[in-house]
Amino acid sequence: MADDGRASLIALYLARRPDLVRFFTVRLRSAAAAEDLVQDIYVRLSGLDPSIEIQNPMAYLYRLGSNLMLDRLRGQRRTAHRDGAWLDSQTTRVGPHEVSAEPSAEAAVAARQRLALLAEALKDLSPQTQRVFRMHKFEGLSHPEVAAAVGISRSAVEKHMMAALKHLLAKLP
Amino acid sequence: MTRTDNSSGKSRIAEEAAYWFARLQGEAATGDDWLAFERWLQSSPAHVRAYDQLEALWIDLEFAPVAKDLGGLPLVTARRALPHRVSPRGHAPEVMRRRAWLGAGAAIAASLAVAVGVGVWSPGVATQTFQTTPGQTRDITLADGTHIRLNAASKITVALGRDARRVQMADAEAVFDVAHDAGRPFLIGVGDRQVRVVGTEFNLRHRADLVDLTVRRGIVEVRPANAPQAAPTRVSVGQELTHFAGQVGSVLKISDPDRAFAWTNGQLIYRDTPLSDVAADLSRRFATQIRTADARTGALRFSGVLVTDNQPDVLRRLAAYAPVRVEHTGSAIVLHHR
Repeated sequence: MADDGRASLIALYLARRPDLVRFFTVRLRSAAAAEDLVQDIYVRLSGLDPSIEIQNPMAYLYRLGSNLMLDRLRGQRRTAHRDGAWLDSQTTRVGPHEVSAEPSAEAAVAARQRLALLAEALKDLSPQTQRVFRMHKFEGLSHPEVAAAVGISRSAVEKHMMAALKHLLAKLP
Repeated sequence: MTRTDNSSGKSRIAEEAAYWFARLQGEAATGDDWLAFERWLQSSPAHVRAYDQLEALWIDLEFAPVAKDLGGLPLVTARRALPHRVSPRGHAPEVMRRRAWLGAGAAIAASLAVAVGVGVWSPGVATQTFQTTPGQTRDITLADGTHIRLNAASKITVALGRDARRVQMADAEAVFDVAHDAGRPFLIGVGDRQVRVVGTEFNLRHRADLVDLTVRRGIVEVRPANAPQAAPTRVSVGQELTHFAGQVGSVLKISDPDRAFAWTNGQLIYRDTPLSDVAADLSRRFATQIRTADARTGALRFSGVLVTDNQPDVLRRLAAYAPVRVEHTGSAIVLHHR
């Protein structure tokens, strides 16, 4: 098993596929979209290192699917502003050609307000919560890695993340 | 229901959504947690909406550059343990990583120090050349533990010196997963740019006069190859830098790393891309060259995901999604506007 973590993950996936489809149907509000997503989980699994070791295999499958959903959402957030409004507000030319791209559409203004609101809301948090949030969200450290870096327990990391998210959610209209 | 009841209900749901999100992002979550989360979602449509909102917020934060300065500490190179990518090699124990974090300020300072220009190869350091033909990709693990996935029709030269690890990239595309070693920077010469790395994962593409860099983890610095003391442009997670040879500046934008990394999963992702570029990519992917018949065909715009399993199927799908007809000549495949 230690030599073939991928094979046992795939076996688990096949056995619990209906559970995954049911879960992602709730999340995506569409059985067809859920089928697609669960199929994508399989594609990702088959690309894994055969010797991969996973602590909580079932949780891993759910998390993998949820991350795929987040990836799609990320793509949609960009595509929705394909005409440039959102993207341009993020595009800067570096080097001597300094150009600040000004988005024109109202959507861009709303988007910027939302970003400003989020940025402001982050500043309300305690320094320690900010630090934990930044390390996990922006520097890509896992919860255990953040815990080790800051010198707190994993459940404390979870609590900081929870406090930050709740606050951000409350600040949005 | 009074107004107060409504808002406290909303606050409770927000709290629960935040609880689940934080809980499920931690490695300690179990299958049972996910089932309990599913029951929570199913118990009210408001729960589903709140969780959707939370995820949208989570993504949108990535578009807020200001937020990255939170807390006033330097950004560090980080290992990311997303379930959908293969875990980093197991030789970075927790203690080492913690030290890497604590020493981050020093590491960043070191990475800003003077870099020796590309092309200056230390004497006595053995160089290795790795090359792939069209249709071939190659996984390379260097002696320092760095992993390189070389795309088709690519060539790179590697020299692991005592003071620096150097790669010279000819016409090539590769994903680099660089082993952390603050004392021995990883320097890549690519056209008229130099890329400097401490320990990170990114895709680097050098085709014709275009350099394209997308970072999935950590931070990468880019500076002109002939001006090692120039202030670097820093590219971080989720950003893409493009540079045309000969131009003074570069363009930095928010980008989805999965798009740049797609080739490692046998996919090519395009958005509004000239068909001539698609044909060039496919020519590297398969043994038979593919070209567009004329400028009009080459200028057609293509958006979509191509699974690059085998050439006949790819061409069939391409012809289904784009207004083209496929002609097989003796030595090549030609795409015609129809």
